This record gives sequence, C-alpha cells and structure tokens, in this order.
Amino acid sequence: MSRLRYLVIHLSLVVALILMILPLPDWAQMYRPNWMALMLIYWSMALPKRVGLWFAFFSGIVLDTSLGTLLGQHTLALVIVVYFNLLFYQRIRVLALAQQAIYVFALLLINQVVIAWVEGIMGRPTPLLAYFGAPLIGMLIWPWVFVILRDIRRKALLR
Amino acid sequence: MQILFQARGATLQALFLVVLSIAVMVVDHRFNHLEIVRSNISLAISPLRYLVSLPATGGSWLEDWFTSHTELIEENEALKDQRRILSARLQKMEILAEENARLRSLLGSSRKIADDVIVAELLSVDQNPYRQLIEINKGSSDGIEKGNAVIDDFGVMGQVIHVNPQSATTILISDPEHAIPVQFIRSGTRSVAFGGGSAHQLELRYLPATADIMVGDELVTSGLGGRFPPNYPVATVTSISEDRVRGFVSVIAEPKARLDSSREVLVIKPRI
Repeated sequence: MSRLRYLVIHLSLVVALILMILPLPDWAQMYRPNWMALMLIYWSMALPKRVGLWFAFFSGIVLDTSLGTLLGQHTLALVIVVYFNLLFYQRIRVLALAQQAIYVFALLLINQVVIAWVEGIMGRPTPLLAYFGAPLIGMLIWPWVFVILRDIRRKALLR
Repeated sequence: MQILFQARGATLQALFLVVLSIAVMVVDHRFNHLEIVRSNISLAISPLRYLVSLPATGGSWLEDWFTSHTELIEENEALKDQRRILSARLQKMEILAEENARLRSLLGSSRKIADDVIVAELLSVDQNPYRQLIEINKGSSDGIEKGNAVIDDFGVMGQVIHVNPQSATTILISDPEHAIPVQFIRSGTRSVAFGGGSAHQLELRYLPATADIMVGDELVTSGLGGRFPPNYPVATVTSISEDRVRGFVSVIAEPKARLDSSREVLVIKPRI
C-alpha cells in the first residue's frame, strides 16, 4: 500500500509527458514550458531521497524518444538540472514562491541552453534568444505547479 | 558532515550520468544500436500518442457532424466537378499508359511503372521547431521498411527513418538534415535539394551560374541514389539568387506536397 502511493510521482511525470507532446500551433511551440523539468524540479526538491538523478535520466530517455530528438539530449539537460537542484534544494525550499520562481527560471534556462548546445554541436545552431520564452512561461506557472503538486503530495501522504 | 557526503555522492552520480547520456547521444548519432530501445519505448507510449491526438480527431469529427446542408451540397457539386475533370484526365492517362507500355515492350524493357503503395495516416508531428519529423500509423507489421519514400496527393513528402511495429517516423524533405536528388523537368539539370527548415522551403545550393533555371520551374525526383523512385513531383522554384563572387547560383523552391497539412500519406515500396 505504501509503495503504491509513490505511483503518484510516476503518474505526474506521465502527465508532464502528455503536456510535452500535446500538439500546439506553430507560434506557441517556442513558449511551451518544459513540464518534465518543472515536475522533476518539484519532486527532487520535495523528496530528494526518492526522486534523484536516475529518475531524471530515465524520464529524459523517455522524453527524447517521444519527441524524436537525439537520445540523451533532454536526458543530459534534466540530469544537470536535477543535480543543481539537489545541491541547493535545502536553501530553496524555505524561500517564498516568487523567489523560488526566479530560481526555477535559472534552472529552466540551463536546461534550454544544454539542449541548444547539443543542437549546435550537431550542426543545427539555434538562435539563443528564442530560448528565453519557454523558461519565462515556466517561471510564471511555477507557483501553480508547486501548490498543486504539494497538495497532491500531502493527500498521498508522501514525505 | 552527512550532508557533505551526500552532496559528494550526488556529484559522482551526476558525473556518471552526464557521461552516460553523452555516450548515449554519440552512439545514437553515429550508429543504429539504440533503435531497439527507441522502438520499445515508442511502443509503450503509443497509447499516450493516441490520447493526445484525440482532441484533434474529435474536433474534425464534430466539424463533419455540424457541417450545414448547403455546405454539403456545395461540396458535393465541387467534388462532382472534380471527378469529371479527373476521369477526363484518367482517360488520357490510360491512353498514355498503353502507349508507354507498347513503347516499353518495343524497347524490350519489362520495368513496371506502378509502385507498391501503402496508405497511412498522420499520427503526430514532432514538436521540436527545428526538426521536420512526422509519425505515421503504419509500421513494420504492415511491411514498411526504413528508407521507404512517403508522398501525398501533390508530391514527395519525405522518407521513413525509424520503423516501429505499429508506427514509423518520417523525415520530411524540408528537414535541415534531409537532402533529395532532383531534376529540373524543363532543362533536365540534376541537383540536390536540401531542407530549408520550414515547411515551405527547399534549397538548391551551388548550381553553376550558367545553369538554365527560371522561377516557376518544376522539380521532380531524379531517382539517383536509389531511395526515391524517379519522376515524382517535388517542388516549384520560387526564387533564384546569384553569388557573383563565387560564380554559383542558389535556388529556393517550394515543396509541392502539403507538408504541414496532409493527413493521409502514401508510403511507396520499391519493386525489386
């Protein structure tokens, strides 16, 4: 029973995956927040002993497959983001939501830059400015993600 | 102290995973070994893909349901007209095909004109704005193989690059990593058309400045390279720019196929 409760985490990552592959009009593609990164940032901040680097690795592999990107591209970005999060989570957890959001913006930006680097190495340079949109939207929705996931976590009695 | 060790453990683990993901990327980029991982995960998440495509499918179903009577009549009229035109063309085609067969038999060549075709539907479009990939709903269980050409009613769309049991990933001709051997119908000049990164653009680089090209020229597959069967329409030339310094001409062409709006596609299996 207690093991079952942790399926909530997996379920939320499946929801993130759906949000990542949901078709959007062309102009909105640029502004799609990286839901996978947002969810992983929350879970690794709330339950760092449960949701760690391996979680990020496997989520990344699944994400890469479903997006059709190079296998390992989003994986690398997510592992780096979760690593930074594991270093700082104790300091960030106690901050106000608005302050957290700025920190999340920085993490999402790192995520985007890593993805852009890999694209660049493969000979598809991307305009770096175009990468600011998605982290910005991610920052704006962080408070909601945080509150919703916290409520879900408390309902499921995860600690 | 404990926190310190914890952080150090995390650092080692992170380093290991970073190296691992870079290794995975290199292997995926250079070799084909990870195809099996990809197709298994694809199979596992295919229910999600269907789920995600439901709103769009449901939307078009509702649209059909609520189409008004007059619209239906109009559409019916238009379709009848189209059918008349097409059947007229078909008659001409039959005569031509007969003539062609006669001439071919005169030449003693037994090559068939028709290719084997599988009809497939679009399942999803790759969300990465810098790639041009689509997922179709037929796979290896329907006989689709890697490298098969994909067309729609108007022209060449692309080719299959990954095959899963129930679906296949197709790279469009407009993907920046794709190149297709083409030929100008009017002048017969052969060239290679690279993807321009958007659904409306192909680039032909480094054509000699003396090449006989005009805006509006039609491009067809040349059949060289063996991937695409010859003589399928590819694109129309929209602009020509001259590089006077280096003596080259580069050409921008617009794909004939509706790369961003076709829902039904045809996969061509080459006859051996």
